[in-house]
Amino acid sequence: METFNSYVIFAIVSLPLAGAVVLVLLPSYRPRLIRWVATVVALATVLLTFYTFGFYDPEEGGFQFMRQWSWLELPGPWPLGEQGISFALGVDGISALMLMLSGIVMFTGVLVSWNIAERNKDFFILYFLLLAGVFGVFASMDLFFLFFFYELAVLPMYLLIGVWGSTTDFRTFVRTKEYGAMKLTIYLVGGSVLIWIALLAIFVQAGLGTFSFVDLQESADFPRTFQQVFFPFLMVGFGVLAGMWPFHTWSPDGHVAAPTAVSMVHAGVLMKLGAYGILRLGIGLFPEGAQDWMPVLVVLGTVNVIYGAVSAMGQRDLKYVVGYSGVSHMGYVLMGLATLDHLGVTGAVLQMFSHGVMTALFFAVVGAIYDRTHTRDIAVLEGLAKRMGVTASLFAVGGLTSLGMPGLSGVVAELLVFLGLFKTYPLLGVLGIVGAGITAVYILRLMAKVFFGALGERWRDQTDISRLEGFSSWVLVAFVFLVGLFPFPFIRAIDSGVSTLLSRMAGA
Amino acid sequence: MIELAHFQVLSAGLFAIGLYGVLARKSAVLILMSIELMLNAVSVNLVGFAAFVDFTEPQRALGQVIVIFVIIIAAAELALAAAIILRLYRSRSSVNVDEIDLMRW
Amino acid sequence: MPFGETIGTEWAWVIPALSAAAFFLTVIFGRFLPRQGAYIPVAAIFLGFVLFWYVLRDLLTSGPASFDITWISLGDTRIAWGVNVDRLSVTMLGLVTFVALLVQVYSLGYMKGEPRQGWYFAAHALSAAAMLALVLADNLLFLYIAWALVGLGSYLLIGFWYERREAAEAAKKAFITTRIGDVGLLIGIILLFESTGSFDISTIFHVAQSGGISQGTITVAAVLLFLGAMGKSAQFPFHVWLPDAVEGPAPVSALIHSATMVAAGVFLVARMLPLFELAPGVMLLVAGVGLFTFVFAGTLALVMTDLKRALAYSTISHLGLMMLSLGAFGLGAAIFHLVAHGVSKAMLFLGAGSVTRVTGKTEIWDMGGLRRRMPVTAITFVIGGAALAGIPPLSGFFSRDAIMLAVMDNRGPAFLVVALAAAALSALYMARIVLVVFFGPLKADNEHAHESPLVMTVPLVLLAFTALTVGFIALPWGASYQGFGDFLADEGGFHFEVWLTALTLALALAGVAAGWLTYRTGHISHGQIARRYSGLYRVLVNECYVDDLYQWVVDHVVLAAGNFVALYDRVVINDTGVDGSALTVMLSALRLRHVQTGHLYNYGLAMSLGVVGLVLVWWLVLA
Repeated sequence: METFNSYVIFAIVSLPLAGAVVLVLLPSYRPRLIRWVATVVALATVLLTFYTFGFYDPEEGGFQFMRQWSWLELPGPWPLGEQGISFALGVDGISALMLMLSGIVMFTGVLVSWNIAERNKDFFILYFLLLAGVFGVFASMDLFFLFFFYELAVLPMYLLIGVWGSTTDFRTFVRTKEYGAMKLTIYLVGGSVLIWIALLAIFVQAGLGTFSFVDLQESADFPRTFQQVFFPFLMVGFGVLAGMWPFHTWSPDGHVAAPTAVSMVHAGVLMKLGAYGILRLGIGLFPEGAQDWMPVLVVLGTVNVIYGAVSAMGQRDLKYVVGYSGVSHMGYVLMGLATLDHLGVTGAVLQMFSHGVMTALFFAVVGAIYDRTHTRDIAVLEGLAKRMGVTASLFAVGGLTSLGMPGLSGVVAELLVFLGLFKTYPLLGVLGIVGAGITAVYILRLMAKVFFGALGERWRDQTDISRLEGFSSWVLVAFVFLVGLFPFPFIRAIDSGVSTLLSRMAGA
Repeated sequence: MIELAHFQVLSAGLFAIGLYGVLARKSAVLILMSIELMLNAVSVNLVGFAAFVDFTEPQRALGQVIVIFVIIIAAAELALAAAIILRLYRSRSSVNVDEIDLMRW
Repeated sequence: MPFGETIGTEWAWVIPALSAAAFFLTVIFGRFLPRQGAYIPVAAIFLGFVLFWYVLRDLLTSGPASFDITWISLGDTRIAWGVNVDRLSVTMLGLVTFVALLVQVYSLGYMKGEPRQGWYFAAHALSAAAMLALVLADNLLFLYIAWALVGLGSYLLIGFWYERREAAEAAKKAFITTRIGDVGLLIGIILLFESTGSFDISTIFHVAQSGGISQGTITVAAVLLFLGAMGKSAQFPFHVWLPDAVEGPAPVSALIHSATMVAAGVFLVARMLPLFELAPGVMLLVAGVGLFTFVFAGTLALVMTDLKRALAYSTISHLGLMMLSLGAFGLGAAIFHLVAHGVSKAMLFLGAGSVTRVTGKTEIWDMGGLRRRMPVTAITFVIGGAALAGIPPLSGFFSRDAIMLAVMDNRGPAFLVVALAAAALSALYMARIVLVVFFGPLKADNEHAHESPLVMTVPLVLLAFTALTVGFIALPWGASYQGFGDFLADEGGFHFEVWLTALTLALALAGVAAGWLTYRTGHISHGQIARRYSGLYRVLVNECYVDDLYQWVVDHVVLAAGNFVALYDRVVINDTGVDGSALTVMLSALRLRHVQTGHLYNYGLAMSLGVVGLVLVWWLVLA
């Protein structure tokens, strides 16, 4: 058991990579076999992430399931003895939850990708590389490898969107898939430049000769001015990925161009990498810098919430609505992080999970609609509930989660964020709640237009969502309900991680 | 008495002539010859230093070794460059570098 | 009672839990069961109604109690699911289980043959569960959760016939309008949490009464809570959703107009009244809004020609009356009226459903003389109407009398005069509805009309019987029961002012008489009056243009803002900021590339100059 536990994280990170290698060896003219292999790999991975989260012990806290391999030894006398870069894996409560989120989204994404007809082998290879990167970021305890996996996660997106994406003509403007892919990649690589600068600065300033997160957090002493200078690098670098205003436009355009499963991973997991980075590196290493910069972040988060919600109201494409709704919901995450308050940060992490599951559900449903109707134009879709009852119910669950209906996951997370905000920035907290009100407006308008009313003539012979797609969506719905009704196990795990991070705050 | 300075003056002179040739000549063949002049200038310099600077034993012949190395490289390079110029002449009937701007924006 | 000793107040949570379980069971397994599982919610609410009596009995013998379990605990913050059984919540339990039970039984007949009826009954169960949880909640957060679920249940029920554009729009309107209030409510709740450190209602009262919160905070919080109540209880200016909500099936209207949705707002103010009482200004606001709504909706009810719409405005008007009562410190009277009105209005809507189902008509002028064809519906409808008009000894008479007394005692003559006039008005419009629909000659195309089946008439009769008799709980029944006001809120035993009661009664009778003369005998011509005051009449028929104003605001402000920001994001932030900087890079590259001439000697010169430059730097600066 001990051995198994020390290898489980390694297995989670390497399974998608191994899956990619196996897929490379399979012949591309056997799409069914490829689908099955992909599904089995994804299932094995998601089960391992469940195991990790289930057996993570929040009472003990800290990093667990640890394992490390030395990769490069750096010569020279260092204060803490022999040092270097090591491939160190391990999870705390926050990253265990994020691993589980990625696992769920990965698995459901594979299921909704069953109907990809064109080059599905290449698709799954790239998809698994992307996921390996995501898992690696969440599981790495060494900043060098965290960055390495971060880059690994960004690059396959370009091909996945550029090859399997869709180009949409919006009459007044056109968004090609190449445009979406290019913008996304440039933005994320731009963000990673800032992050890399900050990481090198951390390495040099600390003078410990190590990239190990734990060593840096415990032994390095960063002067306040240093923190003030370099915290923004992390905040903006990771903030770009988290969809922080005004660096958010890559996200809705990327969604519109991306195929369904990639949208799910992109909005469900990739954007969470950004928030995770701000929390783990920004707040974790630069507590004082964070304190000084948080007023800026909380304002940007508020702008995200309101601006995203109002923007979503004016969109005419289903994916744009969901995309801007994501910008709005990531705003709650940023606001929660910016409170630096126990409740607020816990709420922010729970919101990351909740929004990840919810938005994956949204994109799965929107993808199913698009596959059948070949349009996402809200003006054209009408009365679909009559023919697509299950689809409508699934969308309704997503919609109600997003507008904060109790019993579903969103409200618990948002409530904690609000409680944190009222302690620190009460006026912005009020705006946050108002933003949740605006969410209700655009979600309900959308549902009334697309699903309710008389069935449009064009959609008379519409078929409902398939069993497989339905199954993958119900898995997501199950988690929405689970977090909504029994949030305590999740909150306890998050809490153990957040307490450690916040305990280093001045005055805490 | 020949001193290090003589080598250096000779080397600098050769190099300057070579550089002038490279920059000012229109014919690719002459440019190639000018490059050879520059290489030789460097070789002269190396030989001079090797002869006059008081090196320790293992490095004594280093200058000469490098010079021989340079000569060999120059020969190989010349063969390659001459071949390129020949191909160029075949296709364009000219070796005037003013007319050769395939790498232009 | 069997099990009398073992089942007590600690079982109260089972009542909402039964309906909640019924919701999930019906949704998941309903499709395999006869009538898509419609009987599960009915059975659940029936059991709830039975349990209510056990809880009431235990409450009377052992007094109030509360129980909770921890839901989330984080640091020193603990959030619990708690149940508080006191007289107010048990009264509401009785009302909700009773009305919901009868409405669901009625629906068994009304919705017969409907394709998605399993979902319909599931949504009923959800509504009932949420409302029952709401009245039992011992902390504000739990209350808010139930509150939002009540809204969801109503949304699902109003929009049940979603294929009809009107129903879909009405459901959306109901949700969004009440959501505006909910935003206020949530802000208020969190504000109270931040200032007292607790969601627990009794703790909040305790802290507030001992001066632990500043007066300003109390006032702001009370206003915010009231905002939530105004949304749910359809007080002006949030009343617009309720008349539209009649687009749902008739039993749905019966439920949300009496026991669930609109009752939630009144209940919230009643529950939080000790807090409101600390903010006298807010109490005045409650009374003022209530009074205005009472009058405003009453006049509109008089001119509506759609039967269910007229009843809806009557509901709004009566909700205003309840708010007025709360604003006049009349807690017992308000809840009494909530019960009396709930029973009567549920019955009226069920009766209206029975009528429209048989005749297929909604306009009252297309009906007429239906008492000949639908005697049971007609008799029960008359009883319900009389109860709401305040004719003794029906329930509405007692409750209205109690409210007037509270208004006179605490709000003074100005409020009283207006309230009395509006009371007469409510008798008049009730008489109009009853007389136009059931009396007079039978229309030719209604000849085929017939009475509804037993499953629908029995609930009507039971509700009518209750409307007849429930008023007597106002009276003292011996030493241990000194009247409803005393039972609920220790307001002292039953009492009345002879002149005030007489005046109330006289005005009610005058209203009914005016109605009789106008709509039965024709001595007064309503057509002439409408023509003489045609301007005013037009304004009233158009519901004072409130809807049109909101529609204008939505179209020209809200949606315009959405479109503007969406356009701004695309044109300014994306196309200018993002693509613009990309374009700048590209354009500069287009110019800079001319450096690449392709001529060997240019490159050679640049290289040489570079070397010379480097040497110079090394020589002059570094060496």
